[in-house]
Formats: sequence, C-alpha cells, structure tokens
Amino acid sequence: MMVAVIKSVSLPTRAEFHAAISTRSDRWYSACLRITRNRELAEDAVQEALLSAWSKRHQFNESARLDTWIHRIAINAALQILRKNRPGIFEPLEVDTAVSDETPEINQHNRELEDQLDVALRALTETERVCFILKHLEQWRLKEIATDLNINVGMVKQALFRGVRKLRLQMADLQVNNDD
Amino acid sequence: MTKKQISDEQLTFYYYNDGLRAAERQEIANALAVDNDLAFQYQRLCLELELLSNAKDIQPPSDMVERWHDTIRRSAEKAVAPEQKTGFHTWSFFWGFAVTAALAVGIGIGAFLSTEKFEQVPIQSTSVNNGGENSPFVRSLRIHLRDSEESLAAFAAHSPSTKADLIVNIIEQNRLFEKAAERNDEHSVARVLRAFELVLIRIAAEDTSAEDAEELREKLLFELNIMLTKLSQNTSKEQQTI
Repeated sequence: MMVAVIKSVSLPTRAEFHAAISTRSDRWYSACLRITRNRELAEDAVQEALLSAWSKRHQFNESARLDTWIHRIAINAALQILRKNRPGIFEPLEVDTAVSDETPEINQHNRELEDQLDVALRALTETERVCFILKHLEQWRLKEIATDLNINVGMVKQALFRGVRKLRLQMADLQVNNDD
Repeated sequence: MTKKQISDEQLTFYYYNDGLRAAERQEIANALAVDNDLAFQYQRLCLELELLSNAKDIQPPSDMVERWHDTIRRSAEKAVAPEQKTGFHTWSFFWGFAVTAALAVGIGIGAFLSTEKFEQVPIQSTSVNNGGENSPFVRSLRIHLRDSEESLAAFAAHSPSTKADLIVNIIEQNRLFEKAAERNDEHSVARVLRAFELVLIRIAAEDTSAEDAEELREKLLFELNIMLTKLSQNTSKEQQTI
C-alpha cells in the first residue's frame, strides 16, 4: 500500500536549501527575469519556488539535484505569474509583431540585461520569447512547452522557429554594429 | 541524383533533436552527408545558435537573496523546533509539564502497542529538563501534534495516494522533532515521537488491513488528543502561576 513511499523520507535539509540559494539563485533569477521581464515578478517567482520546494521537499527525488529541481519550479512559477498578470498572453496572434508594450519595469529590465542576446530578445513576441527561452536556454521538450503554455506543439514550433530566425538576424546586425 | 530540399525550419528542429519524426531526421542526415551546401548552411546555423546560448546570468541584489534565505529560515522554523541549544537554557520549569505529558502518552502508546501484538516500544521515564510552555520547541511541538491530529481526523476522506502523502508528511515532521529533541538531550520526548512513528508505519503497512489501519488511526488520534490536552492544561497552569 503505502510502504514504498515511506522508504524515502530522507529530505533535503535546510542547510542544503541555503547552499542552493547561495550558489544558484542567480541562475533561477536570470531565467525568471527573462521570462517575466520584471524584477519584482522574477523575485516573486523565485520566492514562490522556494516556498513550494520546501513544502513539497518529500517529493524531491534524491537522484536529482536540488538546485535543478528548484530551477524548474521557479520557471513554472514565473510562467504562472506571467499568465496571471497578463491573461491570454500565449494565445495565438495572427500578426507577427514585435513586443511594443514596453513598460517602465521592462525598460529597467532591459537596462539590467545588457548582453547581446537579451537585447536581441526584445524583437520577439511574448510567445516567441518564452518558447525560445524554454527550448533553447532551458532545454525543455517541445511537448512540455506546449503543455505548460496550453498551446499545441505546432504553435510552439512556429513560435520557436520565428523567434530563432529573428534572433539570428538581430545578432547578425548587432555583430555588424559592434564591428563598425 | 536530385538534391532533396531541406528547409531552414527542418534544420532548426534537427539541431534541437526535437519536433521531427525519425524518418524525417534520417532524411536530413542523409542529405547533409551528400550535400556540401546544405552541410555548410547547417554548420552556420549551429554556430549562430551556439552564439544564442551565451546568455549571462544576472546577479540578483543581495537584499533579494537575503529575503530568499529568510523564506527558508521562516518555513523551517515554522515546521520544526529551533536548532540552537541556547533557547533551552532559559526554559522555565514548565517544560517539565510538557515532558510529563509526552511521557504519559508514550506509556499509553507502549501499552497500546503491546495489546496490539506489535513490537513494544521501550519508553522509560527520564530526567526532566527545565523548560517552558512558551519555549519555541513546545509551541512547535504543539502545532505539529495539532496538525497531525487534524490530518488523521480527515484521513478517511482522502484517496490512497493522498493518504500516503499525509502519512509521509507526518512522519517527516515527526522525525524532525525527534532529532530536535535528541539534540537537546530530550530523549524521552524523542522516544515518544518514535512510538508515534511506529504506529504511523503500521497504519501505512501493506499487511495491515483497512479495518486494523482504521482502528490504529482512531487510537493514535485519541493519544494525540490526550497529549494536546495535557499541553494546553500546562499552558493554563503556567498562566495562573505567572
């Protein structure tokens, strides 16, 4: 019945959580910041991930790495926050337009992210950007992305390919400008 | 032989090793092996995509990181007694009441286990340390017992997997309290908590029938209730004394 579950009651300790925060929170924060493009929302996402990971630590698989597990929870939290703040964000768009709703928070984020990739990411729509981040930077499977964003795999592929195409062009432009 | 047309999109998903059928992948691999232009195009795509992987991590501000550490600190303190021994030095004699109550329940459980033909748990009387009802350990212990009681009371309404989660949750919390008690030389409390755990394991065991599990659960619930009542009575006594 339930005995199998009881065998693995060796939980990640509080010290291990603190160690993970000290060494890996920059990765969690970066991923959440790229998804939400908002410093406060990224902080909230990491915060929620930590709370959730702590309360569900009995579900942690000992063969996995604690920081990787929290990273995944943080990304899910960031996506959830994004959806909550902007309902319908991942619904398909007929028109392939770049993001045009730059808020002061997003501008602040842009100042914070000074590397070329982050500059180039501004040219993408929300869906393209999130699909690119999840696929290219986070190495999710297309099916996982589709499930999480509640869209079909075809749409993920389309958004990802369009995103990659735009980014390649953007990066080429940025390289040329830098060379000049 | 005519060259097979492979699109940029197909090459992109070939790179990601995702989103293509096996036959489609094979077709692209074959084309790349014989078509130099396509191979060059793919190589360029790979290089450009590699460039896109060089995302720098952004350092969160130190106050933000501190808030995350705090989140874990607070969650841990909510769930378990503090690890520092210093808190125990200032305990008043009322900690004795808590230990006495715990021992009473422990003896009850021991007797109960022996009547249930389970391995008897050796619960002995031990020295009583100074302590107080207001101590974080006692407060946390009471919360743990109350939470366990509530979880067990609602046990029947849950699915088997939720029941398993509940038992695991109670056991893991129980073990944290056991450890905290051992660290502070409160061996008798630790023994009582271990006795609880044995009963919980019997409830969850494969060879325990549903009826026996239900009976054990009710008895454990009863013991928890007694322990909580004792702890509450000690609180009142402490308040009156003060």
